[in-house]
Amino acid sequence: MTEMTLDPWLTLWKLSFSRGDRIILRDISLSIRPGDLTLLTGHNGAGKTTLLRILSGLLPPDYAELEYHGSKHPYDRQSRSFLRRNTCYLHQQPYLFDATVFDNIAYGLRRRGLCKQDITERIKTALQATDLEYLAQRHSHQLSGGEQQRVAMVRAWILSPQLMLLDEPVANMDKPSRRKGLSLINHMRRDGIAVILSSHDPQHGELEITRHLHLYQGSMAIKEQQELAPNPGIVTVNHRFPSP
Amino acid sequence: MPTEGLTWVPSSWPVIICLHQSPVKLEELESDVDTLSEASRQALYLLFTGDPALWTIIGISFAVSLRAVIFAAPAALVCAFLLAYIQFPGRRLAITLFNTALSIPAVVVGLTLYMLLSRVGPLGDLKLLFTQDAMVIGQMILCFPILVAMGHAALQATDRRLWETALTLGATPIRAFLTVIHETRFGLTAALVAGFGRIIAEVGSSMMVGGNILNHTRNIPTAIALETSRGSFAQGIALGLVLLLLSLALNLTLSSIQGKGEVIP
Ligand SMILES: Nc1ncnc2c1ncn2[C@@H]1O[C@H](COP(=O)(O)OP(=O)(O)OP(=O)(O)O)[C@@H](O)[C@H]1O
Ligand SMILES: [Mg+2]
Repeated sequence: MTEMTLDPWLTLWKLSFSRGDRIILRDISLSIRPGDLTLLTGHNGAGKTTLLRILSGLLPPDYAELEYHGSKHPYDRQSRSFLRRNTCYLHQQPYLFDATVFDNIAYGLRRRGLCKQDITERIKTALQATDLEYLAQRHSHQLSGGEQQRVAMVRAWILSPQLMLLDEPVANMDKPSRRKGLSLINHMRRDGIAVILSSHDPQHGELEITRHLHLYQGSMAIKEQQELAPNPGIVTVNHRFPSP
Repeated sequence: MPTEGLTWVPSSWPVIICLHQSPVKLEELESDVDTLSEASRQALYLLFTGDPALWTIIGISFAVSLRAVIFAAPAALVCAFLLAYIQFPGRRLAITLFNTALSIPAVVVGLTLYMLLSRVGPLGDLKLLFTQDAMVIGQMILCFPILVAMGHAALQATDRRLWETALTLGATPIRAFLTVIHETRFGLTAALVAGFGRIIAEVGSSMMVGGNILNHTRNIPTAIALETSRGSFAQGIALGLVLLLLSLALNLTLSSIQGKGEVIP
């Protein structure tokens, strides 16, 4: 199975966004398939954060069309709420609620109406999988920047959204944390979550990147995985869905 | 003398009449000032022996002011939130108006409400004048701008990522609003305490629309005004002490809450 045969979960057409008379994103189209791991690069101010926020339904663009559930929709209230329900956006500097790590991670699960026991169990499993168990009862104010980012990543991952939007997720991390962070991202992809992560640093050796988008002066260049320069971190298409 | 309040509340300007109602002769006043310490001693006695008349007055004060804050708070919170989080035309003007409304004198609110509620006024049919409900309405009007202005300041200072994080983790806008309120709880508690502090000691509006009726609408500030005009200082001082102690207690609570919130090691 190659990624070309997978139906996109979401396709974005003709996205444009401007602030005042400055065009920040111009006529961008993009399709997103389950299990995509897209690296989004660009200079400071290229519009990476803007694009991710639009995709997460937090920021309405000037114009865009969306295709999901087999039909086209304008970017209206309904589409925004669809995006908010099915995507998760992780801020460049994540915000943790004034509560324990456990309660932070539980927030989204509680919004989904899961029962207490289920929530506790899932959080335990997720924290074990990411070596963060020791932080469970720590207050969010008592975390380092890197820990905060990892906790925020777990908080998003545990919701298994269709599309995960990570804004420079490993920027504050030291080498060991970074490795754990990147491996969590690979994990998300293998779970079938479509991931888009932004960075101005194209060096993400350990990431199983399937596509590279580059924003430049409001437009976007796309390199599909096949065209990407040989990189030991990239898995071949056949390995895209190891059995979970 | 349950109707006493009514006898000295005239149709137009109760406060002035109140002060003239039982004029204190100069000699009396001097002798009273001589016995100020005696009055204070008596005041403490009244307080701690649970003098029923005194405690009824205190109870009315609390019942009215707590109700006013509780009823005003939800709408004020929503206003504060809209001002802090939603861009709409006239937003800056609205903020300025609320800040201006902070300094509306209580007697002006009382006078306006009195005219609205009096028998010939547009809301006269509600028969609210000289009831606790009228006092509650007056105090709601008085504390509303404080709640909005201080609530707005607290919410404006919150991080926009808080709202977005709640939404992106699957909260509905209403749920996200509650999360923002929860994260801002210290600042918002300060707003509630300030609002309560403003109305618990407010005399102008309560006097006019409440009428200072014993056991019904006589609260601490109106009672102090009355007792002082009568020259019986002990009750006045006792009630003043209650207000002071209350203010101390509120501020202690507040600073302990905020102290807890501040711990960011
Ligand atoms: N609220 C705003 N008002 C006006 N312009 C804005 C606003 N937010 C962002 N911009 C502009 O939009 C452009 C894109 O910003 P964006 O945050 O998307 O860049 P970025 O690619 O994420 O940059 P970085 O690598 O620094 O995070 C920038 O030029 C920025 O100045
Ligand atoms: Mg950015």
